Amino acid sequence: MRKEDIALILLMAAIALIAYLVAYYGITGPYPFYQLRTLGAVYIYVTLLKQSGLWAASPEAVTAILWDYRGLDTVFETSVFFLAIISAVALFRLTPKYEKEYKELGKKVKDTGLSLIVKLITKIVLVMIIAISASIALHGQLTPGGGFQGGSALAVAPILLIIGFSVWYVEKLGFTKTRALTLRTIGLVTITLIALIPIIYSLITMSGAYILQNQPKPGAPFSYPERVLGVFSGSLLFLNIAEYLAVANGFLVTFILLAIPEVIYFKIIKEERGGE
Amino acid sequence: MDLTFLERFLWSYIFLALIMIMGIALYGIIFRPHIIKKIIALTIFGDVVNVFAIYIGFRGGVIPVPPVYPTWNVTAGTIREMLSRSVDPLPQALVITAIVINMAVTLFIVFIAIQTYRLYGTLDARKIKELRG
Repeated sequence: MRKEDIALILLMAAIALIAYLVAYYGITGPYPFYQLRTLGAVYIYVTLLKQSGLWAASPEAVTAILWDYRGLDTVFETSVFFLAIISAVALFRLTPKYEKEYKELGKKVKDTGLSLIVKLITKIVLVMIIAISASIALHGQLTPGGGFQGGSALAVAPILLIIGFSVWYVEKLGFTKTRALTLRTIGLVTITLIALIPIIYSLITMSGAYILQNQPKPGAPFSYPERVLGVFSGSLLFLNIAEYLAVANGFLVTFILLAIPEVIYFKIIKEERGGE
Repeated sequence: MDLTFLERFLWSYIFLALIMIMGIALYGIIFRPHIIKKIIALTIFGDVVNVFAIYIGFRGGVIPVPPVYPTWNVTAGTIREMLSRSVDPLPQALVITAIVINMAVTLFIVFIAIQTYRLYGTLDARKIKELRG
């Protein structure tokens, strides 16, 4: 018997055991999900109740947890995402010589992309995608949604453009790698600034403040505007917009990198290996 | 309040289905030699874990509503209504974080896989294992 077969049998046995336990206790055992957990109940209780002194000025508890109550988690998560994209960009970088070659290849290639029907429909759908993603991101503090969800929805747009037209078409529209990386950095810097402004305010006025503070808390009077244009905002709206910018442009960079023709990379590898 | 046999059966059925999918995903990660298939299995595994986490926040016994206030004027009545029917918001917030991290990791693995293919001309894990340097 080979080692792989034994491992497969062990895996199947473990899955069968877990499945049996779930089936047995699920039908005969206690059913634990009737009451809301205390922590979840606390978040729902305080998120829109101004008198509680801990409110987030948002009717949506999930976004309030993401950017206010557990805001630091989200900041670290954004930095993990940032590092992954930066390492991908570092891995797939083009030297100036090959960057030029890639652009010249774009001038040479004619009639790229799919048929006229696909191109036309892509243009129509593109407008809808942009509108929907903006609505998801901008209403993040009021309805389910937020910066990351909106940014992921917007990231579908460059995929459609790259497949329907070509990667050079995307760059011709102005969405170049450098510009996308710049916009992404602007988004991340905005998130950092919004997180640090309460601390700067507290240093100037000698009062207390928390990092990523949204609404006034006991002993920390700093507050972002409770409403912008008549709707609840706090810091959540600004953080959502910054995250929307950062995520959408991060995806744009990776999709452009993935769409650069393989010919160029093979040339780079050939050169690095000394012309083998 | 006790649940009917049907509710318990459906609950267990969905859990069982998730565990089966998790088993298939683990099989793909461990036994499939192609790197891209391993990555696909890994994303399926991550999604199953996320669905489990969402299920932890679910509530039985009531008709659950999302943790979003339907009105801006909170009264004692709205808060009581939300606390009695809303699902747990914390797992949902954690799952968003998990999805982002999952996506970032997948993205990075895909880029490494493409680079491996360019350098060695193969994505077969058995052949890559034998490569040196």
